[in-house]
Amino acid sequence: MGLEELRKHGYNVGLTATEYSLKLIDELASNVPKADDYKELRQLYENIVNKLFSERPTSAQASNMLRDIGLIILKGIKENIDVKKTKKDIVNALDSWKKKVIKECEEAALIASRRLIDGDVILTHSRSLCVLKALEYAKKEGKKLSVYVTESRPGMEGLVTAEKIAKLGFNVKLIVDSAVRFFMKDVDKVLLGAEAVAVNGATVSKVGSSLISLIASEARVRVFVIAPITKFNIETLFGELVKLPEGDWRRLMSVEVYASMPENYRARVPLFDVTPPSYIDGIATEKGFFAPQALPVIMKEVYGSWPPKLVSIEEILNALRGEQL
Amino acid sequence: MKIPEEVLEIADGIKTMRIRGAGKIARAAATALKIAALKYDGAPDEKSFKKYMARIADLILSTRPTAVSLPNAVLFVMSKLLDSTGSVKDLVEVVVKTADKFIQESLEAVKKISEIGARRIRDDAVVLTHCHSTAAVSVIVTAYRMGKIRKVYSTETRPFYQGRITMRHLLEAGVPAVQIPDSAVRYIMHEVDQVVVGADTITSNGAVINKIGTSQVALAAHEARVRVFVAAETYKFSPATMIGELVPIEFRPPTEIVPEEWIKKHPNIEVLNPSFDVTPPEYIDAIITEQGVIPPQAAILVLMDRFGWALSRIKQGEFTRLRFEETIED
Repeated sequence: MGLEELRKHGYNVGLTATEYSLKLIDELASNVPKADDYKELRQLYENIVNKLFSERPTSAQASNMLRDIGLIILKGIKENIDVKKTKKDIVNALDSWKKKVIKECEEAALIASRRLIDGDVILTHSRSLCVLKALEYAKKEGKKLSVYVTESRPGMEGLVTAEKIAKLGFNVKLIVDSAVRFFMKDVDKVLLGAEAVAVNGATVSKVGSSLISLIASEARVRVFVIAPITKFNIETLFGELVKLPEGDWRRLMSVEVYASMPENYRARVPLFDVTPPSYIDGIATEKGFFAPQALPVIMKEVYGSWPPKLVSIEEILNALRGEQL
Repeated sequence: MKIPEEVLEIADGIKTMRIRGAGKIARAAATALKIAALKYDGAPDEKSFKKYMARIADLILSTRPTAVSLPNAVLFVMSKLLDSTGSVKDLVEVVVKTADKFIQESLEAVKKISEIGARRIRDDAVVLTHCHSTAAVSVIVTAYRMGKIRKVYSTETRPFYQGRITMRHLLEAGVPAVQIPDSAVRYIMHEVDQVVVGADTITSNGAVINKIGTSQVALAAHEARVRVFVAAETYKFSPATMIGELVPIEFRPPTEIVPEEWIKKHPNIEVLNPSFDVTPPEYIDAIITEQGVIPPQAAILVLMDRFGWALSRIKQGEFTRLRFEETIED
């Protein structure tokens, strides 16, 4: 389908945040049983944490999942639990995380879908499983929607999103990222997925999301983010900033095209950006639909206290390293 | 009399986009009028000559009804001709002189804009530009030579990647330039001091029609309190908008965005490709023309100065249907 041609434009569909979490879960689930002792288990854990930090430091969900796993290992070591039992606990935890990630995405999507009404014109960006799910629910309800989808450079995941939404039977319009303001007047609601949500409600999403939200805000168009609570970044509560990774020209073109660029051609390609809470009208989670600024309230609800008694992954890693094995 | 071959050739060149770019189109139009006047061998009376020239003007205007520089050039020359009287020889002289003046001014415009614009650039500035504009690039390069530019961000500008042309021009001039995808404009804006873009058309109320994406660059700049400058020759100001006409926005083929095969495989997906958007005057700090810096809201000044005389004539009919030939009768 012209893939060769698309590659020239840097077409490279990356994993969604949810897919990335699932990938790490699967990877851990297949490697944990192979570890013979706590030493190996600790090494395995450290490797996967490093992998997360280098591959996708923004992914709050994967990071929250790894926090849970790290705590199980730490507990096992500290309480001298048989490693076989700990390994089993981890596999069980991973299994429930896997189910949770999908289920909560669906529940949040269902809540978001109730915000969509018959005849709405939606705009979405990049590729989000939860957004697709919300549109699917809207379809089941018999709502007629038409959906603008941005190309979403770098990566051009919008092409896949457009295909998926068209398959649901909605009218789909594909546009370049630069044409968002041109069409915003026709749009009723913007639906976005999330990579992470900070404690103040600021949302990390595919680069371009914050520009779209600004444009929507200018045009008084509502912006809804679908984010299961596992995507909330706990570390930001302690002042941690979300580090945003950047790529280079490889994200924009093929090697052949690069060869035709002038000498010294350089590109900065941010992969994510931060949408301030003031441009977000509501976040749909499995626990309900609320204002981004209300996030601490939900956290208290979910974690039972405020501030939640949670340790960071770094603290877990340090504690693990401190254990004599 | 028959229309000279060279004139027909220029008209065809503009129509088929062999001649492209606002400046080139305008100068080609002025050249066509000049050639037509020099080749005139019809009846030696004023009215016949004016009618002949009006016919040529109409022909040229019809080649690209939406190109703003075209009526600018044609009106510039024709207004002078229609206001003059005398022998055919005198009138030919008027056309030649006026056409030459237009061409000369248009050629010098970019240089003047670059000098004026460069003065507006702050010391150690980080500048962002969208698409490719000769005028905007000239401003940046001139400012760079004055030691004022630290870095330039250039957007890719999908679907056609005109940003790559900008990168080439900037890098050739030694300007440190970095390309960013169009979606990264807001992300990068907090590092930017000033935005400099070109214009396709400027309306009488100061709105700027330029490459798709310009208006969201300007919005992101406005949000971050970053100044936005538009570098534009005065022939980019649209006389048609003085009588309320809208600037038509062209939708280009979807194949510019995705390959033909992809489109065939996805018949249910509509690929929309508008090529321009409208930046409202409130997001623009100044328009830099060869005549000087003006706030966008003063665009009407440039237009009245050049076309005030023609307003009554333009008003008689829709501008795009204006027939010079008909204005000769009275």
